[in-house]
Amino acid sequence: MDSFEKNIKERRKEFDVHVADRSKIWANIESRLPDSKPKVIPLWRKSIFKVAASICILLGAGALLGISFMKGTSSESAMYASKELQDIDRHYQGLVSYQVQLIEKNGQLTDREKQEFLSFMDELDQEYNELRKEMQHNLDNQLILEAIVANYKKRIELIENLLKQLNDTKIKEEEYGYTL
Amino acid sequence: MEKSKQGDRNSQYQLYELYIDAMYNVGMRFLKIKEDAEDVVQDSFVEAFKNLESFKYESTFGAWLKRIVINKSINHLKLKRIPVTPMDEHEFHLSDDAPEEVMEAVEVTKVKLGIDKLPDGYRQIINLYLLEGYDHMEIGEVLGISSSTSKSQYHRAKKKLIDIIKNL
Repeated sequence: MDSFEKNIKERRKEFDVHVADRSKIWANIESRLPDSKPKVIPLWRKSIFKVAASICILLGAGALLGISFMKGTSSESAMYASKELQDIDRHYQGLVSYQVQLIEKNGQLTDREKQEFLSFMDELDQEYNELRKEMQHNLDNQLILEAIVANYKKRIELIENLLKQLNDTKIKEEEYGYTL
Repeated sequence: MEKSKQGDRNSQYQLYELYIDAMYNVGMRFLKIKEDAEDVVQDSFVEAFKNLESFKYESTFGAWLKRIVINKSINHLKLKRIPVTPMDEHEFHLSDDAPEEVMEAVEVTKVKLGIDKLPDGYRQIINLYLLEGYDHMEIGEVLGISSSTSKSQYHRAKKKLIDIIKNL
């Protein structure tokens, strides 16, 4: 990449000069989406429920205020991005831990081989933690999220490769047995 | 994200708020006309929200949505018979070997003006590579050309862009 390209890519954000007519576009979008949820019919007619509900709301609001005071400066988009991160984590962590279990249970590998392989995972863990830290500094969240997805995908790819290699050697050994 | 998948309007609106300006700018870069860009962006959000269950975290939501906007923009251009790839594929073969000119940093406004003055086909490829950050593989997929074609056409487009900027 030459300096001309680099210069443009680094300043990509400055090319976003147009501002969308948010409310108009949203109104059009919303009218074309299926209704979200059936309306809830209030069951709280008795005043005792109203009192209980008000207390709950007050407590909840208090807790929220407390939390936001403690958190201090975290901006809305950072919070939103971390929500997306939570979703990504939930999606991939199950997948990865399932595959790690497959490796750990595998009988063909010696303990040392397993450890050696899983140390790759530790390296990726480290990278992941660094990315998470980076995200708290609220640099370019999108880029970091993409890097985190890539990190997860790398793990899965590594494990899948190993499992595939193991299966291949298994097949070869079986064939060998037949020719004898 | 998960709530949006279940059709929660508030979560959908949060996603919308977060991405609307970026997506609108992508649309404007390709289509140039406010109304067209708005249409494409609207369609894209509706399609994205309706198909959220097929979003599998292969990339970020932003990247997924952007791909929808870009595909729709390209289709829109095709419908209007505006070229999405450069037509003069064979014309400049001889000049291809000339050493590339080096261009140092220039102001964003000049680059923008230059991109606006590019012929349509060249503009799309410059947009995709430089501003949307797609690689030649992805550009090939979007425009329906091979990645090597994308590469050579991009280089010609860049040369042309630099020429235009120099003469501004």
